[in-house]
Amino acid sequence: MISNELKSVILKQLNLDEFEMTDETVAPDVPGWDSLNHINIIVAIEEYFKVKFKSMEVLKLKNVGDLQKLVNLKLNK
Amino acid sequence: MDKPKTLWKTWLRNAELNPDKEAIVHWIAGEEPIRLTFASLIETAKKFSAFIYNSGIMKDDVCAIIMRHNHFLYPLYMGISRTGALPAILAYPNPRLHPEKFRQGLEGMSQRSGLDYIFTERELEPLIRPLIEKPGSTIKSVIFPLEWDLSKPADEKTDLKIESLASEVKETDYFLVQHSSGTTGLQKPIAVTHKMMLEHAWQCVKALKITGEDKIVSWLPLYHDMGLIGAFHIPLSYGITSIHISPFEWVLAPILMLEVIDKEKATISYIPNFAYNFLSEKIPEEELEGISLESMRLLINGAEPIRHDSHEKFVNKFQKYKFNPLALTSIYGMAETTLAITYTEVGKPLTELKLDRNKLSQGIVKFADENSVVRICVSCGKLIDGCDAHIVDDNRRIMPEGFVGEIAVNSISMFDGYRNYPEKTTEVFEDGWYFTGDYGFKYDDELYVIGRKKDIIIVAGKNIYPEDIEDAINQVEGIIPGRIIAFGEDDPSLGTELVSVVAETKLENDADKNKLRMEILKAGMSIDINIHRVYLVPTKWLIKSSAGKPSRKANKERLTSGTDPHVWSR
Repeated sequence: MISNELKSVILKQLNLDEFEMTDETVAPDVPGWDSLNHINIIVAIEEYFKVKFKSMEVLKLKNVGDLQKLVNLKLNK
Repeated sequence: MDKPKTLWKTWLRNAELNPDKEAIVHWIAGEEPIRLTFASLIETAKKFSAFIYNSGIMKDDVCAIIMRHNHFLYPLYMGISRTGALPAILAYPNPRLHPEKFRQGLEGMSQRSGLDYIFTERELEPLIRPLIEKPGSTIKSVIFPLEWDLSKPADEKTDLKIESLASEVKETDYFLVQHSSGTTGLQKPIAVTHKMMLEHAWQCVKALKITGEDKIVSWLPLYHDMGLIGAFHIPLSYGITSIHISPFEWVLAPILMLEVIDKEKATISYIPNFAYNFLSEKIPEEELEGISLESMRLLINGAEPIRHDSHEKFVNKFQKYKFNPLALTSIYGMAETTLAITYTEVGKPLTELKLDRNKLSQGIVKFADENSVVRICVSCGKLIDGCDAHIVDDNRRIMPEGFVGEIAVNSISMFDGYRNYPEKTTEVFEDGWYFTGDYGFKYDDELYVIGRKKDIIIVAGKNIYPEDIEDAINQVEGIIPGRIIAFGEDDPSLGTELVSVVAETKLENDADKNKLRMEILKAGMSIDINIHRVYLVPTKWLIKSSAGKPSRKANKERLTSGTDPHVWSR
C-alpha cells in the first residue's frame, strides 16, 4: 500500500495533481517519470523522508511498492 | 604489416595477435563482469555465424538486432558480419512505447533500410510477429539467437564455407546499417562500408593518440553512433578493451561509470553534454569515497551542444577525485560521416571564446567587450585527417572566417546517401558535401557549433523530431487539429534541452486545461517522449509561417520571451 506521503512527494516532483498509484505501478505508467527523471524523484524522496538510498538499492526497485518498502525499511517501520 | 581490409579480417588479426587480451568487459551492476577475450569473441561469433548461415541469411541481408544489455550481442553482431549480412542495432522498446507505435516505427524503418530479419528476445515476439505477417513486409523472419545452443563448435564444413564467404567480401562492400538518431519512422538509414569504418577508425586512433594500453568505458546505447562506432568499433578494430555498462542501469545509478573507471583503470569515454551535469549533481559524496578518476585521459563530449558550464561543474566536482581537467575533449560528428569530423587536441585545454551574444545571433563572430552580453563558445576542435568543413550561407556559398553559417562537411568516411531515400539525400548531399543543418563558425582552424537550422530537439544526446510529437498529440481531443507545435527548451541546469509543446484550444477553465495537459503528456508517452512543459493558447494565437503552418521558431520565441496573459502553461 502506497502512503499518501510518498505519493504526494512523487506527484509533486512530476508536477502532477493526481495519478492513481498501486504497489504494482511502474515508472513507465506515470507521465513524466522517465529514466532521466527517476533520480530526481529518488532525491526528492530522500530529502522529504530524510533517508539515504544506495545506488544498488535504487537499481533493484521494480515498482512503486518496492520503493515504499525501501522507504519503510529506512524509517524502521 | 598490411592492415586487413575488412572488419572480420581485422578482428581475426587482433585475436591472433592478442588472443587472451580482453576485448569486451560486459558490466552488470552488482555482479562480476563478463570478460570476453579477442579469441573467445571470435570463437562465439563463428558459432553464431553458422546458425545465421543455416537460417538462409545471405550477403547484404539487413539483420536488425533488438536486444537488451547482453554479452551475446557483441559476438552475434560479429557473426552476422562474418556471413556478409549487414547488422543494424535498433533500440529495445521502452515499456511506455505503444505497441502500434513501435511497429509503425519498425515498418517505416524497414521500408528504407530493407530490414530482412529481426534478431531479438522471445519476449518481443508478440510485438513483432504481426509485422512479418503483414502483406508487403520486407521482414522475412524473427529470430531468437539467445536460444541457440552454442555449447558445441560449428560444423567444420559450414565454418569453412562461411570463412570463404568472408574472404570474398571487398573493402567497398557494406558491412553495417546505422540510423541517424531520431524517433520512430523518421530515422534515416546509412550504410557503412568496411573501408569507411576502418579508415575512420585509424583516423580517430591517430587523432586521439590511442595506444594498446587504452581502455574505453561506455554506457551509450549501441544503436547510437557514438556508442557503436566510438565505443565498440574503434576499440575492437584497434585491439583495445572496451567496457560496456547498460544505459538503463547507468541512468539509475550514474556512479557505475565512475566505479568502472576506478576499478578497470579506464582511460577514454564518450558522453553527451548532459552527462557532465548528471554525474556532477546526482551522485552523493559518500558514494564517491575511494573513487579515483586518475586513469581517465580523454572524456569526450559529443552528440549534443557542448556547454562551458557543464565542463566547469564536472571539473569542480571531480578534481578532488583526481580527474585531470586536460582530459576534457570534444568531438563534432554525425552518422553521415561514420562518426567524427573534429576532435579537440589531446592533452591541451579546450579553446573557449567569449563572444558577443547579440552579434552572434546576427551571424557575426565578435569578441565580447565590457558592453556585451557574453556567450562562451566551446571549441569542437580541429578537423581530423581525411575530413574537411566549410561554413556556408543559405545559397551554400563558402563564407569567410568571422561569420556564422551552416556547417558543410566532407570526409573520406562519408556516406553515399540515405539508403532508399533519394529525396532526403538530395536535400542534404551535394557534390560530395553533406550539409549538416548545424550552425557554426571557424576560428583559428577550430570549429564551433552554436545552433541548428533544423528544428530537431536534442534531449540527453537523443535526437527527437518535433513532427513525431506533433503527430502523436494532434489526435488528442480538445486541441484544434494542426494547431500544435513541439520545440526544445534549453535547461542549463540539466545541460540539455527539454521538450515543450504549445497547442491551441477552445477550453477556458483551469480544470479542463489540466485534464488536456494530462492527455498531451500521455500522448507523448505513447511514443516514448517525455513532455516537460505544456503551453495552451486560444485559437488563432499561433504565428503561421509563410507556408501557412504554425512556425516553430517564431512561436517558441513568442512564448519564451513574453508574458502573454492568454498563455496557460504548466
